Amino acid sequence: MRRLILFPAFLSILLSASCQRHDRVVVQATEENEEPELASVIHVADPRVAHQLLRGFYDVEQNSWRWTMGKFTVVLRPPAGASVKGADLQAKLSVPEAVIARLQSLRLDAKIGEFALEGETFLKAGEHTYRRAVPASVLGSDAVTVDFVLDKFLPPGNLDQRELGLVVSTIGFEAK
Amino acid sequence: MRTAAFWLLPPVFCLWLYWFGLLSWFQRDDFAWLGLRLRVYDFSSLLHAVFAPMAQGTIRPWSERLFFMVFSSIFGLEALPYRICVFLTQFANLALLGSITRRLTGSWAAGLLASLLWVANPALSVPLSWTSAFNQILCGFFLLLAFHLFLRYTETGEKSYYYWQWAVFLLGFGALEINLVYPALAASYAFLYARKYFLRTLPMLPVSALYVVVHRLNAPEVVSPLYMMHWDLHMAGTFWKYWTWAFGVARLAELRPLPQWLVPAATALLTMALLGFALWKLRRGQPLGLFFLAWFVIVIAPVLPLRDNVSDYYLTLPTIGLAMLAGWAIASSRKAGRLLCAASIALAGVYLYGSLPVGRAVARWHYEQGRGIQTVVRGVERAQQLHPGKLILLNGVTNDVFWAGISDRPFGLVGAEHVYLVPGSETQILPRPEYGPVEPFIAPPELARRALKHGLAVVYQVGPDKLRNITNHFTIWVVPTWPVSQPRHVDAGQKIFEDLFGGQWHPLEGSYRWMGKRGAVSIAGPQTEGEKLYLAGFCPKEQLREGPLNVKVTAGGVFLGSKTIQNAGQFELAYSLPSKLIGQERIEVVVEVPRTISTPSDTRELGLAFGTFSVR
Repeated sequence: MRRLILFPAFLSILLSASCQRHDRVVVQATEENEEPELASVIHVADPRVAHQLLRGFYDVEQNSWRWTMGKFTVVLRPPAGASVKGADLQAKLSVPEAVIARLQSLRLDAKIGEFALEGETFLKAGEHTYRRAVPASVLGSDAVTVDFVLDKFLPPGNLDQRELGLVVSTIGFEAK
Repeated sequence: MRTAAFWLLPPVFCLWLYWFGLLSWFQRDDFAWLGLRLRVYDFSSLLHAVFAPMAQGTIRPWSERLFFMVFSSIFGLEALPYRICVFLTQFANLALLGSITRRLTGSWAAGLLASLLWVANPALSVPLSWTSAFNQILCGFFLLLAFHLFLRYTETGEKSYYYWQWAVFLLGFGALEINLVYPALAASYAFLYARKYFLRTLPMLPVSALYVVVHRLNAPEVVSPLYMMHWDLHMAGTFWKYWTWAFGVARLAELRPLPQWLVPAATALLTMALLGFALWKLRRGQPLGLFFLAWFVIVIAPVLPLRDNVSDYYLTLPTIGLAMLAGWAIASSRKAGRLLCAASIALAGVYLYGSLPVGRAVARWHYEQGRGIQTVVRGVERAQQLHPGKLILLNGVTNDVFWAGISDRPFGLVGAEHVYLVPGSETQILPRPEYGPVEPFIAPPELARRALKHGLAVVYQVGPDKLRNITNHFTIWVVPTWPVSQPRHVDAGQKIFEDLFGGQWHPLEGSYRWMGKRGAVSIAGPQTEGEKLYLAGFCPKEQLREGPLNVKVTAGGVFLGSKTIQNAGQFELAYSLPSKLIGQERIEVVVEVPRTISTPSDTRELGLAFGTFSVR
């Protein structure tokens, strides 16, 4: 008899607990604002700016960074006043030990539209910041694309099935 | 109090450990089963849906076909009721396991511990998190219930238990093929413990054998290398792998870094402890340990030939045997002195240390996977309502979400047929050839570009909990970077391809377009040797009154040949493409028929109605 009482008791606990939880997982299925705002600085793991990662990025890892391919592109909004004073392009990145061990060095070049920025060569694994001044003349529009190119990258192979370049956490403009 | 603990603790523990499994949404194969109901339109198709061999030739009406069909017809895509059903079945399994172990060992503690230890095994994490793996749980129910009834029969001699056991055994075949091992389980128990009932178990053996024969005759040939059977020495290696996995620590080592010595040491310790205990009991005239070990061996045996498909959840049912043995061992150690008692608790601790984090992590992983695919499917459902008839393009689909469900085509379930990943997404998806190609899920750039240009497509960014319409942003920033190319597949019935048609074409009508006597269409040239040009369309019977109709085709200035349409209705004609056209970005295809027709109500000159032109 006790067993007969226990079973429905359990069932009700299960149902009530699950129903409460169920309310929480209901999602607003879509957001229809067709003009998402562009940010000047993007944290690549932030889903709100994922549309600004145009090409060359893999999925977010550990909620904080993404691997890039050999070429990767973002679209950024120049900060206020950039069309007069210019701005600094800044990319916070990491060169993994596995990459530098295989490639010895890695050169990163960037271009904004047709304007090429001076590249930088990384010889050591670890955290790096690629920082370059961008003249006002190329920051006159509401948004600009920034194309990054690596001279070398790890091709798909034994280590990973993907083409791997750098690990990037943040890319953006800093106002002057 | 003791009774309450006996019945309540295992389900509570199960809920605590696999809470995320209870809440997880559909994924992977679930979508195929959810769509099964849509293929039923009469009694004959119902029988086919329920009993026809599918997915590697399996026939599992209770655990897959009817389960999904009934639940989806009532609850649709609400996953929770399905999950509750799975968990309730598992609670019944735990009650049966506790009861069986208590009856066999005479110890309620052994029964309780057996249930708890089985729940803790990481092998259960997949069946308790993924609805398509319900077959394991339901098969467990049939195996345990049949054995429980057999046990009652041997205890009481009441034949009704025996007959009920038969009924449950036969029904079990509708849950999972593994059910065929039941006669061996009953026979081994009877041989060791209830010899006078041994002969009564034997009539079930030919039933299992017959099932194997019938199943083999009806199941389609296995083509996936994953499900090929290898009857060779590899089976020993596969057995050892399952044995080490059964103790948990080896699975934990796949989740987080552990000292190298820990896995072999823990496996050796737990192996020695279980085998030692079984032998010790055997020497004291209690062969029950042998039966528990036999349970593991008998139930794992059918999957050992699957050399290339070693899956942790195949251990769900075999580990019942080890759980019973371990529960009995720990319960017995209470009377064997403090040292042995402490040792058994320490060993249980090692097992739980290796198992619990894995079980929880796997359930959590399924929950996250389910959330990801739920976001996409629900978002597409909404997008389809907001933009009916439009092509839906998804940007930012992760590798995990793709393989968690998009590859199983879930969108038909919400009425959306034309859903693709944006061009270029293939770089984000790691190929898994065993599950099929990725390309069919990626929109061809030219199709996407044209659809966006004509306002016939919308682009959504996949976020963690919703889709975001980024059509304008995408059209401005991404589409211009796509290389311009001619499409390899041109649908004459779609407005977006209108500019590719020249010559005597009539305006678009529904999903087709009439050609006069001669028409031209631009299409991409072949990429490789052997590709052909396919023309598909409709030929009215009036066009054949004067005899078969010759269709002459020229491509890139090269005459491809003349094919004849003999019968009215749908047609598909294939023309070989010469190697000189390989690699040409654009070729003009000219189609010509010798005559046209017209009717009093339609005075236009009509040659043929075309649907599609493709190079493949």
